[in-house]
Amino acid sequence: MVGYRSGVETMSWTKRLPELQFLILCTLCCYAFLELFITPNQLSGFSGISGIDLILTSFLLSVLVAIVSVIAGVGGGVIFTPLMLAFTSIDTLIIRSTGLVVAMFSGLVATGPFMRKGLADIKLVFLGALPILIGGFGGSLAAIYLSQHLGETGDSLVRLMLGVLLMGIAVVFVLGGAATEYPKHSERSKLAIMLKLRHMYWEDSLQKPVKYKVHNVRTAIFLLFIVGFTGGFFGLGGGWAVVPVLNLVMSVPLKVSAATSGVLLAMGNSAAIWPYINVGALIGVVAAPWMLGQIIGGIMGAHILASIKAAFVRKVLIVMLFATSIKLTARGIEGLFGISIPII
Amino acid sequence: MPSTRKPPVPVSGIVYGEIIYWGTCLSALLVLFGTIKSFLETNSAVSVNYLLDAVLSGKSVETIWLSSKLQQVPNTSIYLATWTSGESLTVIGIAMGVLTVIPAIFLSAIYLWRSNNHIFAIVALISGLLTMVAPSGLISP
Repeated sequence: MVGYRSGVETMSWTKRLPELQFLILCTLCCYAFLELFITPNQLSGFSGISGIDLILTSFLLSVLVAIVSVIAGVGGGVIFTPLMLAFTSIDTLIIRSTGLVVAMFSGLVATGPFMRKGLADIKLVFLGALPILIGGFGGSLAAIYLSQHLGETGDSLVRLMLGVLLMGIAVVFVLGGAATEYPKHSERSKLAIMLKLRHMYWEDSLQKPVKYKVHNVRTAIFLLFIVGFTGGFFGLGGGWAVVPVLNLVMSVPLKVSAATSGVLLAMGNSAAIWPYINVGALIGVVAAPWMLGQIIGGIMGAHILASIKAAFVRKVLIVMLFATSIKLTARGIEGLFGISIPII
Repeated sequence: MPSTRKPPVPVSGIVYGEIIYWGTCLSALLVLFGTIKSFLETNSAVSVNYLLDAVLSGKSVETIWLSSKLQQVPNTSIYLATWTSGESLTVIGIAMGVLTVIPAIFLSAIYLWRSNNHIFAIVALISGLLTMVAPSGLISP
């Protein structure tokens, strides 16, 4: 997680990418055009708020979520999905499909630069891709099955389970100082030797190449499957978990773990999102501003990263995760057992 | 003496990254166009304001679509059949961004195979096939 941060520090490439600046300009012009030239219709139940206002607000929130998630070193889905499930009454399938969009697009746009720099390890990407793809696809199918067969009870169950999972993630963040920049490991597994899982990347801070060898391949594959399943099921992505698996379990340097994690999740979630699209759960007009906000906010977050105290943002995120997990758990219990728990 | 030269970056990785990067940028432009078109449409089968109202009021996915002028839950083929509408264009844009992964995987697999990483090339092919099966809707709950 800390490593994701250091991995993204290398993203100063954005300054030199006119195509991304063009995209930012187009997005801002598009929203300015909508605000200035389209006659807005008021949304019922929201006095004074139009559909265009809502789209613009979603875009700005998405930019904020992306900036916070880049600085805190987590995927955007971990912030978006729990907050929306806890504090809105929007259908859980719509939230989870949009959550996957939020989780994957900053990773998709970062894939090119990470690969160009040789920070993401293509062998590790494909090794982790299968368990994450299968897990993620299975997770999203399970989510739709649960929603179709259990209805409101299924939604409450999802909220309760996510509340508990989020509490666990928050605890991992509190205890998350165990990550190491260049992990050392004495014994290599036979599978890692057979697959020739060793690589080298250029470390800018040291001005020299760093070699590493991969360990514990079987355990990591199992853990990546679990991460894929939970990511697809809850619409969380899995940025919070893939970096620790690569760094702590496989002994991959932190910077490579961070870059590989982004690339891996973008690929893994690409299968998980289709079951949601095929049941109409991806509402384009709702997901679009979140997608664009992730691309632009991800870039901005990488710039802000250098000049901000990331530790403060992480503390805010931990408090937010705890608070959201309490609210989710409460809503889950309320829905399942019909008990009223007075939490805002 | 330890080397201080930058190690070469695998071509398979660069090919994979570039396809996804440019595909994502193009898909973002399509999504922007779709969003503007959604708000400009006056006689669309799925009006933006109806969709936003229905989503915010907490209606289920099925209810939202069945109560719309479309009167059916859309899937990939319906989005393609109505590709000129703003909502469909937006979803197609997002899907295009997601689908860029497929050619990227297959082309990367070719370069992995050429560089004697046969196991990873095969794993990449299987991943690519799985990513192709997902949009087809062949496996559903």
